Amino acid sequence: MSRKDRSKAKIATRSAPGRAQRLAVFGPPLLLEGEDATAYDELLSRICAAVKPIDIVDEIFIADIVSLELEVLRWRRSKWSLIRAHGLSELEYFLAGKLDQDLYFANYVDHVVRFLEDNLPEDEVDSAQTLADKFVEGDKDVFDKVIKCFPIERSVRQVLDDARADKAKKLVQEYVRGEREAVTLINGLTDAGVSLDTFMTEALREKINDIERIDRLTAIAETRRNAALREIDRRRAVLGETLRRTVQDIEDGEFEVIETMPAKGKNAA
Amino acid sequence: LTTKRKIRANRANARASTGPRTVRGRARVARNAFRHGLSLPACSNPAFSKEVEALAREIAGPDATAEIQELARQIAELQTDLSRVRRARYHFLSDCLSDSHANARMKLKFIRRLAQRKEPDISIETPEKFLTSTRQGSHKLALILSQEAKQLLAMDRYERRALSRRKFAIRAFDKAKASLSHSR
Repeated sequence: MSRKDRSKAKIATRSAPGRAQRLAVFGPPLLLEGEDATAYDELLSRICAAVKPIDIVDEIFIADIVSLELEVLRWRRSKWSLIRAHGLSELEYFLAGKLDQDLYFANYVDHVVRFLEDNLPEDEVDSAQTLADKFVEGDKDVFDKVIKCFPIERSVRQVLDDARADKAKKLVQEYVRGEREAVTLINGLTDAGVSLDTFMTEALREKINDIERIDRLTAIAETRRNAALREIDRRRAVLGETLRRTVQDIEDGEFEVIETMPAKGKNAA
Repeated sequence: LTTKRKIRANRANARASTGPRTVRGRARVARNAFRHGLSLPACSNPAFSKEVEALAREIAGPDATAEIQELARQIAELQTDLSRVRRARYHFLSDCLSDSHANARMKLKFIRRLAQRKEPDISIETPEKFLTSTRQGSHKLALILSQEAKQLLAMDRYERRALSRRKFAIRAFDKAKASLSHSR
């Protein structure tokens, strides 16, 4: 039995005896990579507790509602993730154009050190850091030696651009994690009439076709979930009507026709 | 006008050259047009009959009349159809998420764009970073959704049809049960 099967069986056993076997008929929950099986179980047990299924047909609808609700959440998460990722990459691009050289200087040195370590003779690799420091300070004696170690298609300007882009990326990652230094820095840089919302809006504009497709899938899942809920309502109404009729029949059966008997005293009068 | 002689000759020639002749060959070409089998009902596949029977028994309950059993069987078949569609879509999305086909298509598209624009200014690291990157989680799913929307919407048509038919089958089942309990 797989992990998904076990979790479903466990929750079903907990909520009602005998339901585990019945729910197994529907198969294991269809969870995608990285999705949480306990969230499914939690939702299933809450909906079971609220609906109180009376038969397997109710359970079919409950299984539908749970899987459709998870689908709605899945599509919403995807949409948000798409907008956010695109917004953050816009922010990264914006930051790369605004960063002062002293902010990304360390990254520049790192890039130079990396090139030197890759290309210097083995016995000189230890001096890579020293050479890189001298190079960025403008030491003419080491310039030619260092430039030779740069990849053929990279100029100093391009290496500086790479270092700036790296720094911007790192800052955005720190900003996402909520690190105070990065948050302050980015808020300071974006004070000039732009905010994170600006980038998110830009992302929304650029990804509108993808977002529309996801919204369509979300709407389909929501409509089907609501239809399943309506069917449960309808079944409850049918059950109520059947119960009313049954109760009426029982009561009718209990009634006894009492024939009217004339009172003795009245005749005498 | 085609002469009778020519028609006879055509028919004789056609009989002599109509595809594979062995049982194995015929069985193989019989599946040429088969894509996912979702348009076929579950009852047409003996592999699903056990599943359908088990579910039908559960739905009908003990001491069910023949009419109730038949209606329960219809629901079970449609529920199995629905499960098949959902499983097919799940496997499709899982495959896209786990293997590199979706990524590969995206990367090929990028290379094509790059080649067409012939940008001399683009740094070597940009395509390198992109080609070695792998998108994760919800973002990857969003990209798959946007790329495979057509396929997903095609699968959705089967799900919609199965849901609609199941709804009416359940209503008929409920009605039959209600009238049965009333007549008792």
